[in-house]
Amino acid sequence: MDVRAQMSMVFHLDKCIGCHTCSVACKNIWTDRAGAEYMWWNNVETKPGTGYPALWEDQLNFKGGWVLDKNRELKLRSQDKSDFLPKMFYNPNQPGLDDYYEPWTYQYENLFDAPRGKDQPTAIPVSQITGEPIDIEAGPNWDDDLSGSPVYAENDPNFKDLTADEKKMLFSVERISMMYLPRICNHCVNPSCVAACPSGALYKRGEDGIVLVNQDKCRGWRACVTACPYKKIYYNWKTGKSEKCILCYPRVETGQAPACFHSCVGRIRYMGVLLYDAQRMVEAMKAPKEGLVESQRSVILDPGDPKVVEKALENGISPGWIESAQKSPVWKFVVEWEMALPLHPEFRTFPMLYYVPPLLPVMGRSESNIYEHDVDGIFTSIDKARLPMKYLAALLSAGNIDPVRDSMKKLLAVRVFQRSLTMGDIEPWKLAKVLRDAGLDESQAREIYKLSALPGPEDRFMIPPIQREETVEKTTCSPDKCKGNCGLGKSENPERGL
Amino acid sequence: MFDLFLFIGLPYVAIASLVVVSFIRYKFRAFSYSSLSTQFLEDRWLAWASLPWHLGIILILLGHLLAFGLPGVWSILVSIPTFLLVVEALGIFSALLCLVSLVILLIRRFVDAKLQAVTSYLDVVVLLILLFQVLTGLAAAIHHRWGAAWAPGALGPYIRSIFLLQPDASFVKDMPPFVKLHIASAWVLIMFFPFTRLVHALSVPLHYFVRSPQKVVWNSSRSQVRFEQKIQFDNEKRLFLKAAFGAGASVALLSLGVLDKFFRYFLKQDLTNAEESHILSQKLQRLKQSADERELELERMNKDSIFVAKLSELSRTRGKYFIDYQMRPALAFSDEQGLPILISAKCTHLGCTVGQELDAQGRILCPCHISYFDIKTGQPSPGSPAKLPLPHLGWALKDEQGNLLMAQDPEGRREGSIDPSQAGKSLLFIGKRFS
Repeated sequence: MDVRAQMSMVFHLDKCIGCHTCSVACKNIWTDRAGAEYMWWNNVETKPGTGYPALWEDQLNFKGGWVLDKNRELKLRSQDKSDFLPKMFYNPNQPGLDDYYEPWTYQYENLFDAPRGKDQPTAIPVSQITGEPIDIEAGPNWDDDLSGSPVYAENDPNFKDLTADEKKMLFSVERISMMYLPRICNHCVNPSCVAACPSGALYKRGEDGIVLVNQDKCRGWRACVTACPYKKIYYNWKTGKSEKCILCYPRVETGQAPACFHSCVGRIRYMGVLLYDAQRMVEAMKAPKEGLVESQRSVILDPGDPKVVEKALENGISPGWIESAQKSPVWKFVVEWEMALPLHPEFRTFPMLYYVPPLLPVMGRSESNIYEHDVDGIFTSIDKARLPMKYLAALLSAGNIDPVRDSMKKLLAVRVFQRSLTMGDIEPWKLAKVLRDAGLDESQAREIYKLSALPGPEDRFMIPPIQREETVEKTTCSPDKCKGNCGLGKSENPERGL
Repeated sequence: MFDLFLFIGLPYVAIASLVVVSFIRYKFRAFSYSSLSTQFLEDRWLAWASLPWHLGIILILLGHLLAFGLPGVWSILVSIPTFLLVVEALGIFSALLCLVSLVILLIRRFVDAKLQAVTSYLDVVVLLILLFQVLTGLAAAIHHRWGAAWAPGALGPYIRSIFLLQPDASFVKDMPPFVKLHIASAWVLIMFFPFTRLVHALSVPLHYFVRSPQKVVWNSSRSQVRFEQKIQFDNEKRLFLKAAFGAGASVALLSLGVLDKFFRYFLKQDLTNAEESHILSQKLQRLKQSADERELELERMNKDSIFVAKLSELSRTRGKYFIDYQMRPALAFSDEQGLPILISAKCTHLGCTVGQELDAQGRILCPCHISYFDIKTGQPSPGSPAKLPLPHLGWALKDEQGNLLMAQDPEGRREGSIDPSQAGKSLLFIGKRFS
């Protein structure tokens, strides 16, 4: 047993209101500089939709993540050692600027400086690369809130298993629904970007599992951009280096939640330590597609188990971290309650960001203006939901419907339980049946409700003490001083050549 | 003169620049040590330029390297007509590949507005030098055919002379102008190399092919933690081993003693007469000793006074030991008047017996923890471990008939007196009355 610790995350999609505050907080701190304008280390997608960059989930096009080869061994879909040489001088699978968008700003100064004339001066959009006026054709949230419409939603790669009839029904006006999917780097346990980096610049930090790019070692091969199936590594066209979400490690190391977590209006984000067995990781990632959620969970270790604690201490994990792992809300959501699921586990990267599937947009159907709460048929309504379970399963459990249904049953059961408390209109035997069917008891339901609906920052963020505050102070530069720098803990100007 | 500059001065400047600047940039400006890829901004033209360019230039460089690096092997190879033909054809083909891709690369730099945002002057300069280099190479190859055959012989000595630090420009002086231009611009290119995007050629990631798929970096001293834990474990192990060894050894020793008896019992080896008599005589001696001690004790309990010494035997510098009524050691000295000084010799610190030699200051020394005591006052000297004075003892002087001549009690009160002439004959006693 090789116990490692990982800063892990849970996003409670039921609570996400799609306000993009997280994206803006991140942009203001990290990517507000030349070459990084188009990067959204945190972005919020509307699903069903094509996402950002467009169609990132389509690995037949972008060729990211891991696949099992003939001998059922893990292999990078592209950019592994044998694939690197032929693509060394030109990589055909690399996303270009067109897959994202050309960053732009507006000529605001024209509003003040325009000469006196008959018309109101306007601020026309100009490209942030060339400085020339441009016609805006795409943007970071181009399909925001529009995904119900067939124009974008139809192209969602997660629909590829649906029949034409099913699709037609799905996009009929009465059934249109949508949900939000905030995404940051998953800080995977089996990161394909790290495995694909020829320079060895990408690495996983041993202490907390944060995946980072060493800007000095990065030689701009861009293999990681192709290899990351989530397209969460971006190429900085100005510095010629790759950049990615750093989980705000300078904040985490000083005990603060990352900017996107801290600023989350809906309080959907949870952060905590998970302990996992690095030795069993590779074997678990070779599981058949449908069993990936289960095998991924099985690698995560119970922090309350004295044997695990002993091995963790042996591995140099500090008691503070172990204590934090025992209190971690992520552990509760992911393993104890089995409610949170990894995004696209079929990429086999072992993502450490988990999502509680959304209930509200899926179940929010009313009949003659009354919200359906009949307890007898309560679980059948999950299967009749507007957004087919198949879709959520394609998103969160590699097509296996069971984990998603189990999770949603629990969400619904907690809702019924809470209604019985506040309204008292549910008969005890019905409540008991609902809870039993969902696999919960009353105390668990109460705890889930508490952690879902009423958590304060101290409940959501269980950030352990870090032992290297001094190092952080040495390497990082305060953001107001180093705004134009490459922003990755490097206080040097990102200058190239002569 | 100009030739000297181009073919001797320039090469050394170029090589120095290549080595020194590459090193400095790699070491101190690692961030910039790569080529700024523009594939992200412009993808279509690059596909037609980057791949052919790299293929062509690698083939040509390999050819140059073989021809000038292994001239012996090369000359044998090019003596085969087919090989020469293939090499020449491949060379021309590669050069044409390079030429076309360079032109595309140059044009796209000027045509695409987005590329101009990331194009530096040196990028253009590099492309132009490379273009010039390819053109002069091509021209030389076409005007002066079968260069693969003649160039290593004609130019090889020049290149060797540069690297052997015996530069000789005479080999190139009479070369055709295209060849001279090709050589000179090669040196210029090498000089510029470390300042430009070309440095990426020196960062080929060979280690990628041997490293494990995942890379984990520990910032905290994980190895330190493990090391400390190991040391602690080892220490505990060592302590346990030591304790076990000690216990084992003592058990072994004990059992040895028992075994001795054990074996004797079974072997029935009785003591010889000599051994037995030796043991008995030792026992007898010990019994005699304790009988003497008991006798002395008895004497002290019964008698009113005990003889210490003749007054004349006492010395002023070396005390005489005797045992007082409490069976404690004491010392007898004589003072300036010839009268005795009797002082306890049991150190007041931890009870050692004090030495008998008087030092120059009139002190005696307890050897155990170095306490000096003045014999006149009995006080320990400052700094001694002993803090209490040694008590004086009372004494009595008697003549040979047993008449009391003079006595002194422990506080120093005297009674009687003695004629100094008689003093030598008198006998010194301690008495119950004076103790």
